[in-house]
Amino acid sequence: MSKQMTEMLKGTLEGIVLAILRQRPAYGYEITGWLRDQGFEDIAEGTVYALLVRIENRGLVDVARVPSEKGPPRKVYTLNAQGRQALDEFWRSWGFLTARLDRLHDANGERA
Amino acid sequence: MTSWLDQKKHYRAYRARVDALPEPYRIAVDALERYVSVLGPGKSDPLQQVFDDLTELFEQAAADGTPVRAVVGEDPVEFAEEFLRNYPAGAWIGKEREKLAQAITRAER
Repeated sequence: MSKQMTEMLKGTLEGIVLAILRQRPAYGYEITGWLRDQGFEDIAEGTVYALLVRIENRGLVDVARVPSEKGPPRKVYTLNAQGRQALDEFWRSWGFLTARLDRLHDANGERA
Repeated sequence: MTSWLDQKKHYRAYRARVDALPEPYRIAVDALERYVSVLGPGKSDPLQQVFDDLTELFEQAAADGTPVRAVVGEDPVEFAEEFLRNYPAGAWIGKEREKLAQAITRAER
């Protein structure tokens, strides 16, 4: 993963995680696994965990502790109403950004 | 605000958890504890929260067999900084950031 990709991902990771949780509740390890499967191999597990701590503190998710066979109980994160609002806002920002960038890309004559 | 004695008990329990971790994870938590103690929250309750959350992360990683490098990523300092940003309460660096923002607001007037 290029340095540029890492930087861009950092700015959008919160939205990505909210969008993943919009599908279904998940715990940190699952979220990191999904990101890795999608080609974001360099994403650090701790980065995702830090982000989950943050969205929990901001009240965007509900947290349930589920006992696990090995290790401490796992925290399962569920997107709540406030989280869905934050996700809507993310998609608005994302739409704005991509629309403007596509326009610029078109103006450069490099897009089909 | 918990009492001094409770804080001490809490810290001891936390240290026992860290010492129970397999070596690579223990080394990582020790190093992060040191870094966070210097740059993290100045008050002991919020600082303990950071320690506890870090320990939980590494306990989970140890249970899943996730290598230390995969937990902290390429740049451990960046990881630690990013992690600390989640705990604005009581962080001296947070206070300094606020002061800077306020000073610029005053300068605008």
